[in-house]
Amino acid sequence: MTDAEIIALINISLTEEFELKMEDLKPEALLFDDLELDSLDIVDMVVVLESAFQFKIREEESIRQIRTLGDIHNFVINKKNALLN
Amino acid sequence: MRYDYVVIGAGVSGITTALILAKSGFDVALVEKSPRIAPLIRGFSRHGVYFDTGFHYTGSFGDGEILDLFFRYLGLDDQLEKTPYDPQGFDLIRNLEAGFEFWFPYGYHRIRQRLHATFPAEKDAVDTYLQAVEATYHAFPYISLNTDAFSVAMPSGIHGPSLQQFLDRLTDNRLLKWVLSIHCLLHGVPPEEIPFTNHACIVGPYFESVHGIQGGGGSLVRALDGQLAKLGVAVYCGTGVREIRFAADRTLTGVYLEEGKNLDCRGCVSTVHPRELLNLVPESLFRPVYRKRLERLEETSSAHILYARCDSSLDRMARANVLISPHLDLTGLGADQALQHRPVYLTAARSKKARSFKAGLIAICPASIAQMSRWAHSVNGKRPADYVIFKENMGTQLGRYIETACPEVAGKIDWADCATPLTLRDFSHSPFGSLYGVKHKVGQHNPLPLTKAPGLFLAGQAIVAPGILGAVVSAFLVCGIIIGHCRLLKALRKYR
Repeated sequence: MTDAEIIALINISLTEEFELKMEDLKPEALLFDDLELDSLDIVDMVVVLESAFQFKIREEESIRQIRTLGDIHNFVINKKNALLN
Repeated sequence: MRYDYVVIGAGVSGITTALILAKSGFDVALVEKSPRIAPLIRGFSRHGVYFDTGFHYTGSFGDGEILDLFFRYLGLDDQLEKTPYDPQGFDLIRNLEAGFEFWFPYGYHRIRQRLHATFPAEKDAVDTYLQAVEATYHAFPYISLNTDAFSVAMPSGIHGPSLQQFLDRLTDNRLLKWVLSIHCLLHGVPPEEIPFTNHACIVGPYFESVHGIQGGGGSLVRALDGQLAKLGVAVYCGTGVREIRFAADRTLTGVYLEEGKNLDCRGCVSTVHPRELLNLVPESLFRPVYRKRLERLEETSSAHILYARCDSSLDRMARANVLISPHLDLTGLGADQALQHRPVYLTAARSKKARSFKAGLIAICPASIAQMSRWAHSVNGKRPADYVIFKENMGTQLGRYIETACPEVAGKIDWADCATPLTLRDFSHSPFGSLYGVKHKVGQHNPLPLTKAPGLFLAGQAIVAPGILGAVVSAFLVCGIIIGHCRLLKALRKYR
């Protein structure tokens, strides 16, 4: 899976499962302020990503740093790369 | 009618939620689909014997322990008479494969001593396990009232370890692992699935102390009913909820009953099965991801339950229950295996007339509701003839199995009837007739008390844990969110 395919799959999952608009899904979009997600959405976000990419997300340090949609893209790309290596 | 809060479902979690909110000064209504409150635990009588359903014994109910304190806060204590189980053995656990039996005591020091004596080479494993259970249980919100109100958080077992993984790290002794896993029967999730943290929070109370209630679940229901009336909770029984209503801005506006009445309110606590909740709210209320999460929650298994009258005394079961397992391996808890390969839980039923333990026996054996699929559309009282034959055969088989596995009851049963997964489903209005509702398992995200819909909260076993204590704690947790943990913990501390 290329980085672009990963980003596309994340964005499609967010439109389908969170009913977000594709045009709002810019990498710099802040999850809480721009996309209007909140702390209750974190579990659902984990469920969506685990299901889309078939990996388990634990309470890792890199999760706590996530602020923007681009941070989610990078988190998944790094995780996929780490699993391949 | 205008209320502050409407609570849906009058099981123990719903009633407790209603009582706490009413005690805190709110106008509260409680809605129950069954004709009377608490259908699961009120028990029933046949042939002069009172049979408990849904409640057999509970942990942490000794004087000054947490359930005792909760009940005093709720005003129930002077209406309930505790009946202590035998501290030297509240459960007789028996393994047929190993030809082994063990009287499981309560009190951490007694359990430690007994396990050390039985497994002298495993003292470190025993100590590590018991310390971990005690610490995990006491760290749970509202179990320790010293919790800082700003750090009330449920421990997450989602990433494991499972009980099985936890025990595998401690010891290779299969018999000890079986002894420390057999109480999975108290939550219905097998050792390879239940997170250790959840298992600890469910068995931890029983390791502290074990009590029944004189008169069983029926007495508890009467006490709860009395407090609902005393605190002015409006109880609507015999009507389900058709929908929870929201304004265009997603503000919760009311609860509309099947009988056509609307209860205006500003908040609602649902204690129904999470999947049933989805039928009560507009489809657009929750995002697809959350709906799917609730739809995909796995269930604990259901059961065949034998209710038997006995013609003579069951002395050994006067102050103890009996847990029988045919095998050391508890994987899956055996619900899909042939009857004689499943574990079974036995408890005494009481005579209605006197404080006698001569009266009867209740035997609970895991079963899958999938095995009942051909009668899935029938309802209690209108089952087809082949179902009736199946039920009679199941009762006979279960009776024979119990008499073989537990010779103490052999030849004493003089009347018996059997409940199936469909009986449980229809009496408890639970979609799958499961014994303990939704599973708590590694890898499964159970819902939290808060939802994305403002004013809509969740409580019940799916949120916290099964059992009386799990239901009561879930009520305190959700009420703490509504009225403030600081205020509720402070109110509870006065009862220490």
